[in-house]
Amino acid sequence: MTAATTIFRRPKTTSGFWGWVTTIDHKKIGIMYGYTAFFFLIMGGLEALLLRLQLAGPEGQILSQAEYNAMFTMHGTTMVFLVVMPMSAAFMNYLLPLMIGARDVAFPRLNALSFWIFLFGGIFLYSTFLFGTTGAPEGGFLAEEASRLGSAPNGGWFGYAPNTEPQFSPGTVLDYWSIGLQIIGLASLMSSVNLITTIFNLRAKGMRLLRMPVFAWMSLVVNFLLMFSIPIIAVALFMITFDRQFGSQFFQTANGGDPILWQHLFWLFGHPEVYILILPAMGIVSEVLPVFSRKPLFGYAAVVFAGAAIGFLGFGVWAHHMFSSGISPVAQAAFGLSTMTIAIPTGIKIFNWLGTMWMGRLQFTTPMLFAIGFVAMFTIGGLSGVTHSIVPSDWQQTDTYYIVAHFHYVLFGGAIFGIFAGLYYWFPKLTGRMYSERLGKWHFWLMFLGFNLTFAPMHWLGLQGMVRRTWQYAADMNLGPWNMAVTIGAFIIAGSILIFMWNWTVSRRRGAEAGIDPWDARTLEWTIPSPPPEYNFAEIPTVTSLDDFWHRKYSEDEEGRAVRREEAGTLVADLEYRGNNPEKPIHLPSPSYFPILIGISIMLIGYGIVYNSFAWGIALLAAGVLGTATSFIGWAQEPAEEPAEEETDGEEH
Amino acid sequence: MDQPTETREVHTAEGHHHPTPRQYVQIALLLGLLTAIEVGLFYAEPFFGDLVVPALLVLAAVKFGLVVGYYMHLKYEKRFLTRLFGGGFVLALMIYAVVLVAFGIMANI
Amino acid sequence: MADLAHTDEHETLGVDNRKLAMWGFLASEFMFFGALISTYLLYKGRAGMPPPYPRDLYDIPFTSISSFVLLMSSLTMVMAHNALTRKDQANVRTWLLATAMLGMVFIGGQVYEFSTFVQEGMTMRTNAAASGFYLLTGFHGTHVLVGIIMLLSLFGISRRQGGLSEAKGLNLELVGLYWHFVDIIWIVIFTVVYLIP
Repeated sequence: MTAATTIFRRPKTTSGFWGWVTTIDHKKIGIMYGYTAFFFLIMGGLEALLLRLQLAGPEGQILSQAEYNAMFTMHGTTMVFLVVMPMSAAFMNYLLPLMIGARDVAFPRLNALSFWIFLFGGIFLYSTFLFGTTGAPEGGFLAEEASRLGSAPNGGWFGYAPNTEPQFSPGTVLDYWSIGLQIIGLASLMSSVNLITTIFNLRAKGMRLLRMPVFAWMSLVVNFLLMFSIPIIAVALFMITFDRQFGSQFFQTANGGDPILWQHLFWLFGHPEVYILILPAMGIVSEVLPVFSRKPLFGYAAVVFAGAAIGFLGFGVWAHHMFSSGISPVAQAAFGLSTMTIAIPTGIKIFNWLGTMWMGRLQFTTPMLFAIGFVAMFTIGGLSGVTHSIVPSDWQQTDTYYIVAHFHYVLFGGAIFGIFAGLYYWFPKLTGRMYSERLGKWHFWLMFLGFNLTFAPMHWLGLQGMVRRTWQYAADMNLGPWNMAVTIGAFIIAGSILIFMWNWTVSRRRGAEAGIDPWDARTLEWTIPSPPPEYNFAEIPTVTSLDDFWHRKYSEDEEGRAVRREEAGTLVADLEYRGNNPEKPIHLPSPSYFPILIGISIMLIGYGIVYNSFAWGIALLAAGVLGTATSFIGWAQEPAEEPAEEETDGEEH
Repeated sequence: MDQPTETREVHTAEGHHHPTPRQYVQIALLLGLLTAIEVGLFYAEPFFGDLVVPALLVLAAVKFGLVVGYYMHLKYEKRFLTRLFGGGFVLALMIYAVVLVAFGIMANI
Repeated sequence: MADLAHTDEHETLGVDNRKLAMWGFLASEFMFFGALISTYLLYKGRAGMPPPYPRDLYDIPFTSISSFVLLMSSLTMVMAHNALTRKDQANVRTWLLATAMLGMVFIGGQVYEFSTFVQEGMTMRTNAAASGFYLLTGFHGTHVLVGIIMLLSLFGISRRQGGLSEAKGLNLELVGLYWHFVDIIWIVIFTVVYLIP
């Protein structure tokens, strides 16, 4: 059990570059998830801007056909897998242990491993712009070899077969896509098992499931969705990888393969995935609205059970993505009905949020604005979603910009607005400082305006018959003016993001001191110093009710109005002092090199599979397998915790 | 999954709950016997006809239950684990059954 | 994955963290193998594919024997666990090794089966049913292989350290859970893929 048995000397430093590389602290990992996701948000955003420049007017000439295909594929893939999912993972990593009163997640090293696998999966996917190749498909008309910009996956984020088969998509770009997503999925699967264990098993004393903050509940549902849906897409991705690399026939129609199977498997994963993207944002909004309405969440239990119901129903509606694929009328009717039922729990949530604000003393801070924006925009997106559940109506809308408008209202107006609400809301906890409220409001209003200018006209374009994924449209189709409006809106959104970046960068260094509880909030993360110390809680709290912290600060008068207790100020000051000065030293698990090494090795395996027909590809594969195996051996041999130098407490089980 | 129990029981040393080695061997013999019946049914298909498929499925389910319940000790664990594991199994069964029905091939399984 | 080392944190549900995680992971594996089995079922009877179909080549007596071998490896696995609860470290090692050997016999059988099928003209490229068959049984075999590696690691640790400590003992239980799970998946595959016509 001594350090000598491990491959490396155990890292000790917790600061600087190596501190980040070897960290297994859930807060640092959460921050790394956040910055990585934001980097990819910029990439995906640039791709979107190129798409919009191309479509700003009729007969656009900015992008070639191949480049256009690459851009819309990478935009979708990036925003789903590399932006919203990791951004949600950032919130879950950072906040879950704080909200349930834990010192870390259940498996801190596994958590670091998830992050590094995700990061190197993302790098692998984006390295397609450096190394990827395209070729001339059978019967196709695209140029033989695309530019670097066009050398990216080009089969859509859904990668429908048989277009992904080797004869139709030669070259390596779709290998980068399928293997890259496989790696990213592996990270999500590990993280989901880890976080489910954390939520069930690491709750503080008295933190019953129905006393958990709604965000923790939504995270639980999301991680169950991940745990049960990632394996499905894993199988589907293995099938196209095998079809492309080893000549299997899963989607080759001539030899019995059935492309519809891909659609089933993809959407079996893809629809739960939609809720994986939106539920964390719903959780964030459910935390923000009560705090700034100065009222408890209206119908806590209803919100929780509606979230669980959405998660469960999410597994029963996948074929509504396939109404035009020729599935039987019975299946169409059944899936149309099941889709409509999703509106019930969603509606329950929306009314509960409205009920929370009703008669509240609303404070229109930036997070509150984004939360209200979320409720409004998500409702619009939800309503257009209901129109898709009506099968004949869906036949008209499918593959038009109406669909594009719908899912951007739920994913941008929903998930992204929710994420920004959370970023502003927890900024003081993360940095210990306040952001500029003035810049925050500029950000919100510009983004709100830009968002609606971008995506509302897409409804009309879609109803006018503008098809999705179209590279150009003719001048006489009369689609030009609204497309120009859409493009202008997209640039306004980009401008608002720049304001956010400026605000974030300046405020985290020079903002006013925030203190531990700037919002007079309700949940446990506000009972510890900002930024939280490495051990989170000097003493693990004991919880006696839902919104425990609030009840310690407030009592009720005869009419049931909340009255701040006299001793609340002292309580908060005391919490801050005790949080910074633990009574006895707190043991934390030591950092480790192995998570990042395994992440790199798995990326090498990915390259090895893409280039398995070359000797050096096999060498890469072997190096990756060897690296993974060695790292796991080192991992297994290093004790989770270094034996303490000073013998203070040895009590652990 | 509803009420957390505030206990600190260590769950590695609960051997007294578990079956004895003798019972383990008996279960293994039963598993072997069931497998033999399955193979027998396979060859007796001309004789039993349509009864074979349901019989095979029932036998597989029994074997499945024996291994999960006794060898994996699920019978002796907290109910929560049964719900978790069973939840995954039932979800997979339902979803993939619907996929196969949608392809219209449940008839020839 | 022995990351359970936090002072004053307790397991709220009264189940060990690692055990809970393992059961969750195994539950998710149903989705994985479910997709593979459904794919095979979808393709196995399709008309008009280039022959041979997997079911034309099945050697039921042979597969029955290898299925029996895998079933018995579950018995030896559970005996290893039982020996550990009695702190009978020598027998733990014997049973671990026996389990790994039975697993290797099963894998050997699969290699033989695959190579026979290839000689008889059915490769992964032949038709969609063959692709489905190889991917399903191949991934199951990969799971067995991973299990064998874990069993042999436990065996090695036990030999070097003169027995498995309390903490490593839980690892044996976890490997056991995984091993039995791989066995029940084979119970399903044997019936649904091989026996049902």
